Amino acid sequence: MNAHANVLGFHEPGDGWLFRLPVGIKYLLMLAMVVPPLAAVQWSVTLACLVATLTFLLTSGIHLGRALRLGWMMWSILLTLALFHLATLAPVSAFVRPGNLLVAVLAARMLTLTTPTPELMDALVWVLRPLRPLGVNADQVALAVALMIRSIPYLLGTVDDARMAARARGLERNPALLLTPVILGAVAYAERSGEALVARGIGERPLAD
Amino acid sequence: MIHLDGVSVVVPASRRGDADRTLLADVTLTLTEHRIGIIGANGSGKSTLLRLLNGLRLPTAGTVTSGGFDTASQGRQVRTHVGFIFTDPLAQLVMSTPIEDVELSLRSRIKGRENRTREALRLLEERGLGKLAHQSIHDLSGGERQLVALTSVLAVEPKIIVADEPTTLLDLRNRLALRDTFARLPQQLIFSTHDMDVASDATRVLVVDGGRIVADGDPAAAIRFYERSMAMTP
Repeated sequence: MNAHANVLGFHEPGDGWLFRLPVGIKYLLMLAMVVPPLAAVQWSVTLACLVATLTFLLTSGIHLGRALRLGWMMWSILLTLALFHLATLAPVSAFVRPGNLLVAVLAARMLTLTTPTPELMDALVWVLRPLRPLGVNADQVALAVALMIRSIPYLLGTVDDARMAARARGLERNPALLLTPVILGAVAYAERSGEALVARGIGERPLAD
Repeated sequence: MIHLDGVSVVVPASRRGDADRTLLADVTLTLTEHRIGIIGANGSGKSTLLRLLNGLRLPTAGTVTSGGFDTASQGRQVRTHVGFIFTDPLAQLVMSTPIEDVELSLRSRIKGRENRTREALRLLEERGLGKLAHQSIHDLSGGERQLVALTSVLAVEPKIIVADEPTTLLDLRNRLALRDTFARLPQQLIFSTHDMDVASDATRVLVVDGGRIVADGDPAAAIRFYERSMAMTP
């Protein structure tokens, strides 16, 4: 399991300005970085937002290595996207498509690296609470997001494990042998997580005060 | 105190035409001892029995009451009263770091995020886990994870702890450490185990076989009964 390299990272206390920023402003900052490049689809906007996001992270005391430690899977997706667009003779797309994805991931990391998950959850609950008349259970959405953040490193780890197991038997080229244990593992993990939530009585009572 | 009255758990067969499977058959028990161990072969019904105690599983016949609450109709009160420790602590930890996980447990009891963070850190430090508070749960050792899981469960202040093979995934050092921690808990503790040394920590040991309690009483006698029965059946 390679938990050090995962897409969203996890919070460690720090004293940079992003750490001190109210969580609501951080959410807005994230959207301000992610939405414009998706809407504009221009290399200049993508580049500007990429540079801005990295600057925000670096000036908050998160060094480049930690900011870009996304795991081999994320980087290979970005590379594949770029190569695909190069192969179809679309050099601008080769930068903009993976660039926008990278901006989105890094902007999300501005939140997850600098904010404890409970604080992210409370902010989500606060934003979603007005939607209660529409049948949105804010607590459950916030809990689901927290579970997602916690489960991603585990699920990526099972892909690594399955690759290793396949390689041990000299079968690494067969995608079915890679996917089957990953999917079965994910379902079993979900089942155990659900059982743990019930056992701890989480979801039975409201999350926020 | 936990009371089981004529409890059976029967599940439908996995193939059509087969007989229904009986996981537990007509078990009546009153569990009052401070330390109760449950032993038995794989598939004997140990886990089913433990899961009944906090309402994770409901009986198909009979009733289970934990601390005066019926597990079927008052599940929420039962789960505050009875904490559950799983074999695999990674599945039990719901948040990304130990401090966040303990904070989640504290939400029902402590108002205000700062207060919760402070209390969560204090509880972790009490178990010698203060330095790990902000690490990823995926980076902890098995023993550390099990202690974090225990801290999270204890944070709800349950009166009874139920633990399903809590030492199975641990190495010798962590197993000894967890036994030591368990020994000092003021709560009533009911646990299953395959480790006869751990079982002998109990004041009462139940032996489960084929969904029935086949021996019940003094640890030494119950363990001897279990070891003899396992040796006879190939």
